[in-house]
Amino acid sequence: MSVQEKYQSLLELANTNGVTYELTEGDGGALVITGTAPSAEAKQSLWDEYERLDPEFKSNDLILNIGLGDAAGGGGHSYTVESGDNLSKIAKGYGIQWKAIWDANRDILHHPDKIYPGQELKIPV
Amino acid sequence: MKVKFFTVLMLAMALFMSACGKSDADLTKAATDKLTSEKVTGVTVAVKDGVATLTGEVADQAVKAKAEAAVKSVEGIKSVTNSTTLKPLPVATPAAPDPALTGKITEDLKKAGCTGATVAVTNGKVTVTGEVPAAKYATCIQTIQQSGITGIDNQLKKGA
Repeated sequence: MSVQEKYQSLLELANTNGVTYELTEGDGGALVITGTAPSAEAKQSLWDEYERLDPEFKSNDLILNIGLGDAAGGGGHSYTVESGDNLSKIAKGYGIQWKAIWDANRDILHHPDKIYPGQELKIPV
Repeated sequence: MKVKFFTVLMLAMALFMSACGKSDADLTKAATDKLTSEKVTGVTVAVKDGVATLTGEVADQAVKAKAEAAVKSVEGIKSVTNSTTLKPLPVATPAAPDPALTGKITEDLKKAGCTGATVAVTNGKVTVTGEVPAAKYATCIQTIQQSGITGIDNQLKKGA
């Protein structure tokens, strides 16, 4: 099975979710997917699919390099977490809902209550 | 009574004939139209005895699968032979020289809280060693992969 066949469902998901991408061939025949997702959810769905197909990311046959488009917060501000911060507090400072920050940062956050000093959060516009 | 039965039989036959009366030319046109409506380009369809053969060069595996599914869905097509080929991929180029990539990934990993991971980049290929908490593992891998590298040797371990 070719690498593209292995990751066919991931490519299909990218198309379904409006992720634009380009394919190149990396080291040792690895598939390099470079693209832009319209939202953090769309990006996360690709990573979830990647993890389903290659649970430990140990096959070394795929490089998934997906950024976020401007509309998804790629063009927004960023905020570095300080000690004592929480999402509600940060959101208040920008006049937005904490959930908006949570949604824009699902790729680096695993739980809305768990943020760490030094983490750089994307603040959606 | 006999005549009536014969008439019904003829009618049934006529119906049956018209149902499977789509010619290969009709099917080819229907399949081609279907591909156009699904925005699949570069694929040529040829139908013989209800069997469709797809040829041409497609951008990637997703397009290949989409073309096959689209033609399969055309009424009257019995089966599809997918002989399309994938466009050869250009060789990936690293986003930056090795030392710059190493520096960027190291910094990004620190920001993401992946301090246990160590990276070394050679010709765009990153070798990852060390150990990170299991809950952070996927995030750390993601951080490394979206740095503009062109290859990976993942030896990162999942800790407690």
